[in-house]
This record gives sequence, structure tokens and C-alpha cells, in this order.
Amino acid sequence: MKEFQWKKSRLFAFALLTLIVLAACSSDEESGASGEGDPEEDPDTITAWAWDPNFNIAALEIAEESYDEDIDFEIIENAQDDIVSKLNTGLSSGTMKGMPNIVLIEDQRAQSFLQSYPDAFFPIDDYINPDDFAAYKLAPTSLDDKQYGLPFDTGVTGLFFRTDYLEEAGYSMEDLTDITWEEYIEIGRDVNETTGKDMISLDPNDLGILRVMIQSAGEWYVDEDGTTVNIEGNEPLRKAFENYKAMMEADFVKANSDWSQFISAFNSGDVATVPSGNWIGASIEAEESQAGDWAVAPIPRLDMEGAVNASNQGGSSFYVLNIPGKEKAAEFLGKTFGENEEFYQELVNDVGALGTYTPASDGEAYQAGNDFFGGQSLISDFSTWVEDIPSVNYGMHTYSIEDILAAEMQNYLKGKSLDDALADAQAQAEAQLK
Amino acid sequence: MSKAIDKASAPYTGSSKKSAGPGFKKNYMGWLFILLAVVGIGLFYFYPMLRALLLSFQSGMGSNLEYAGLDNYIRLFSDPTFIAALTNTFIYLLVQVPVMIILALFFSVLLNDATLKFKGFFRTAIFLPCVTSLVAYAVIFKYLFGVDGLINQFLLELSLISEPLNWLSDPVLAKITIIAAITWRWTGYNMIFYLSALQNIDRSMYEASKIDGATSFQRFFYITVPMLKPIILFTSIISTIGTLQIFDEIMNITNGGPGNATLSISMYIYNLSFEYSPDFGYAATVSYVIVILIVILSLIQFKVAGDDK
Repeated sequence: MKEFQWKKSRLFAFALLTLIVLAACSSDEESGASGEGDPEEDPDTITAWAWDPNFNIAALEIAEESYDEDIDFEIIENAQDDIVSKLNTGLSSGTMKGMPNIVLIEDQRAQSFLQSYPDAFFPIDDYINPDDFAAYKLAPTSLDDKQYGLPFDTGVTGLFFRTDYLEEAGYSMEDLTDITWEEYIEIGRDVNETTGKDMISLDPNDLGILRVMIQSAGEWYVDEDGTTVNIEGNEPLRKAFENYKAMMEADFVKANSDWSQFISAFNSGDVATVPSGNWIGASIEAEESQAGDWAVAPIPRLDMEGAVNASNQGGSSFYVLNIPGKEKAAEFLGKTFGENEEFYQELVNDVGALGTYTPASDGEAYQAGNDFFGGQSLISDFSTWVEDIPSVNYGMHTYSIEDILAAEMQNYLKGKSLDDALADAQAQAEAQLK
Repeated sequence: MSKAIDKASAPYTGSSKKSAGPGFKKNYMGWLFILLAVVGIGLFYFYPMLRALLLSFQSGMGSNLEYAGLDNYIRLFSDPTFIAALTNTFIYLLVQVPVMIILALFFSVLLNDATLKFKGFFRTAIFLPCVTSLVAYAVIFKYLFGVDGLINQFLLELSLISEPLNWLSDPVLAKITIIAAITWRWTGYNMIFYLSALQNIDRSMYEASKIDGATSFQRFFYITVPMLKPIILFTSIISTIGTLQIFDEIMNITNGGPGNATLSISMYIYNLSFEYSPDFGYAATVSYVIVILIVILSLIQFKVAGDDK
């Protein structure tokens, strides 16, 4: 009997231990995920996720400083890919625990989030006037007539070029202004022949330049409804494919396979031009020895009716998540990014970030010349081009379609006919997105 | 009969429940001891597996999921990206696993030579890649094989090539780069298994065969390889599973490109969930394909290489 009792108590101890261990595990999980306080109450701290300490995080910091009310504001730096995957896992799990109040999302991904997770985001129409912002930013940041995103930076494109190389080949700023991509390729051949430098650096995996080309003609991979795949019979895309191949065959493309190689391609002086979103300016200026050697012309356009010398690459907007603290967060964004013109001047001066808030473009900071670019009034030029950017609906499938196009582009470069390549891409995209 | 046992056992157990024999009690105790593990495995392995299976029958973007029957599984067969990913993964598998196994065997036999000096150094050197982080080594390989990378400079200096090769942006060369990277990373790992197995082969067999006049090739093929058979089977299964799940190297070295020339199944699952508009249902379907493939391939390997026991 004694032995049995001893056994029993041992069992009891074992069971107790199990219980404690399990309880410890589960309570750990909870406290790990929930953040602080009762989820129903307004939190004291407003958190924001963004990815670039020199750019969008710096902008948030300036916004915090210029905000009149006292607010406990925490900015958390995450890589953009991490933000995307954290949002996806967090929002799809159904619990909003651990999610930030404000999050920065790239415009071309925005619809995917807005449509995939209805009710996860908080409309901010009451806090800003959407008409104050560049028109092309509104389609990707809104859904069902509700404005969800606060348009932040523009990805307005420009043709950054080395004045010294171009001069050597006999080209001036004027020769590069308002040209077509076909003319650009001709100039590239000349530059390559006379200076021996490559004209452009491209990553064969990244079709960003294709997007720049087609948006300048007001087209995208999908129709205006954002869902109908528009590849076969998409004339701008067709021309963009042809231009891309022509560039590759002209043999003035310096291949890169990632961001740092891309940066070093122009910092080392190996390439003559960088057609890109304006945000590349900071990286170009980073190579101080090239000060004065750079200028920016309007981006080339496609050789067709309706195409303009203005386009967009990248650019992102702030979103408020539908969790406690949303009013506070929306008000913060509205009072800073949404209406404070002075704040935008500071943003230009301190960070070099060009917002899309149109009333701010008359400010002083926008007119100032940039010595690195030979005194050119860069910001002013960019903000003029912003107004011309054709508005397109990116829809929610930009990246999945682009992977399909990238594969077909390889086939096209290897000799497949353009008709077949686009037709196949269309069929694949339709199968994937139904 | 059972009554007799009950009566007989009663005084020993001291239990008032006469029907519970010692056998049951033993089991009961045993179950109790493994209870924690069973619950843990059930909760953290089988439950998610079941949920993933259910998820694989659902379709929709993000949280708008609804049951779609077998649609996802049917979609697999007409999805060229999936087929490309599957093909690439099998190319890695068919080229890389045999190359690595043969290299590992070769190194282990070399390093097992009794007359070799600095054995410890060489063993460590070959095993060392396995200790490095997957991401770190992948990034280094990316730079080694870059257009301006060390490999190109080396080949240029030797005049083996006239202009830099686009290792990462040519469909075939990119695959070679990936295969080279995985082989570098995992050969040492497999070699360790062979080395330890080689220690267990009776020396007298080699001595006897020498006396009988067997050449070293014959000794390798008729003694070493047959004796290592179970280990070769084990390592090839482990490598097959590993290669089917390959992700880090591709994500970091080529990001699936150019086009989708290096895309693997795991990478495609990642893209479906995080890179494109999230379709977790279809992503779960694709991951179940990996499960099915691993089961089939392992069965084949057991049949081909295993003993009949």
C-alpha cells in the first residue's frame, strides 16, 4: 500500500510538472504575441513599420517632431520583404496582435493587401483630402471609393545621366529632353562607341524598366478594372519588349544581379545613364567624386500616341490598421503628411524625399538648385513631371504577372517570336489568376 | 485461467481493482511517461499537417478562403510555373545528389587512409562548410559568381574565357552555380557519415583481399561500397529530402531567376504566399506535392538499394 501511494504521489508530481510546463508555454506565447495592455483599449504607444532609415523612417521622425500633440510614437525598422511577410502571416491568422498602427506599403502591392484582408485597414477619408495628392497615387491606395492609403513618396522617374560622357559623344541636355526609347537606344550606341562605357545597367530578373515604359503610355499588365489580364495585344508592352531586346542586342547593357551591383555600376562610373525613380538620386549623390557630372532629363517615352515623358517607379504610402489606436494614428498622419506644407519643405531639405502632396510644391525648398547635379532645380523638375504621370490601376497581381513575363522575356531574347511570347504569357497569367 | 492469475497477482499489486492486471498497469505507466511527447507531437506536428491538408482544398486571396474541392490539385497540372519549379528541382536532384554522394565517398575513402598525415585538419576543412549559415554562404557564392566576381576574374586570368560569364543571369550557368553551391555546402556533411561507417569495416577483409590479389579498385567496389550500402541509402534519402526542400540558396543567389530558370518548389511556395497576392490554399497544395514526392522517392530508394528485409 505504501509503495502504491508513493507511486501515486510520483504520478501526481509528474502530472503537475506537465501542467506547469504546458502552462508556462502557453502563457509565454500569449505575452509574446499580444504586445502591451488590454487589446480593446486604446494603446498609449502608436507603432509604425517602415524600411528605410535614410528615407521613409527619417520622414516619420520629422513628422513626429512637427506634430503638435504629445504622442508616444515608436518606429520599428523592418526590411520591406519582412514587412510584407509579417503582414501576410499576421493578417491571415485573424488575430491583429502584434500588428503596428501604421505601416508603409509599396503602391504596387497595396491592392493585394486591401483586397485580401477586408476590414484589416482603416479608411482615412475623414482625416485627409485625397484631392490634395497627385492623382496617379489615388487608384492604388483606395478601394471601393474609400481612401485607405496616405500617399507618401512619389516614384516619379527621370533619366539620370553623366553629362561628361554624353558630351564626349556629342549630346547635350537638350538632345536628351523629351526623347523616345528608340532615340535613347541610338544615343546609347553612340555613347558606347565613343566612350566605351555602357549605357545602362539592368538586372535581367527585374523588369522595372518595362513598368516604367508602359506606365508612360498609361497602360499596365492589367486593364483598368485591375483584374483583367492585358498582355496579348497590349501595344505599349509590346513596344517595351522590343526596346528591351534592342537594348540587350545593342550590347551596351551592364548586367547586374542585385541592388548593390546596380549601385556600384554607376558609382564606379561604368554606365552613362540611370533611368529610374527619383529615389535613386541619394545613391548617385553618395559618390561625391562625381559631383557636377550628373544631370537629370525627363524619362524617355514610348514611340506611340498618348505616351508622355513622365512615369513612375516604386513609391509607397502609409496605411492605418483597423486596431485600437487607429483614430490616433490617422490623426497623426492627417495632421503631418496630410496638411503640413512646412513639414514637406523640411522633408525635401533634410531627407531629399519628394512627397506627393501638391500644395507643397510651391514652397521654397522645392525651387532650390542641387549642386551635385550642376545646380539643376531637381525637386522642382520632378514635381512638374509628377503631374504628368498617367494614372493606372496596378491591380493586385503585378508581381505574379511579372514573374511570368520575366520567363517569357528570356524566351523572347532567345529567339521566340514576340507574338507567341506575349500570347503564352497571357494564357499563363489568366490560368494563374482565375 | 484468468481468474487464477488475478487471484495470484492480487497480493502483489495491492490494488483493489482486480480486473486491472499488471500488463495494463505497465502500459498505463508507459503511456503516461510519453504523454508529454505524444501530446506535443500531436499538437505541433500532426495538427498543423491536418490543417495544411484542409487548407490545400481551399482557395482565395488572403483571408477570403473558401473550399474549392480539388481545384487546387487540378490547377497544378496546368500551372507552367509549378511545372518549371518541379523540373528545376528534379534537375538539381538528379545532378547534384549523385555528384555529392560520389564526392563524399571519394573524400571519405581518401581521408580514411591510414598513411595520411594531418587527417584531422583535412577532415575539419571539408566538414567546415556545414557549420556556416545557409544565408551567409549563399550570399558569398552570389558575389563569387557575380559578373565582376572572383570566379570570372580567375577564369579570365587563366584565359579560359575571353569575356566574363553571366553566371547568375544565364539559365544554364545559374543552375550550375546553384548546384556548385549546394555541393560545396553538403559534401562534408555526407562525408562524415561515410567516415564513421568506414571505421566499422573490418580491416581483416581488406587484408584478406590483398592476399588474394585484389586491386584497390576492386577493394573499393567489392568491399567498401557494399559495406557502406545502408549508409549510402541513408545519405541519399536525406539528400533527396533536403534537395526537394531547397530554398535558401535559390532565394539568396538567384532569387529564382533568370525568368524562372532556377525556381524551386519551396521558393514557389514562398512566392505564392508572400511575393504575389497571398494564396495560402494553393501554396499548401504545392507543399503537399513535396510531401508526396518525398514519400515516393524514399520508397523507390528503399526498393532499389535496400535489402529485402
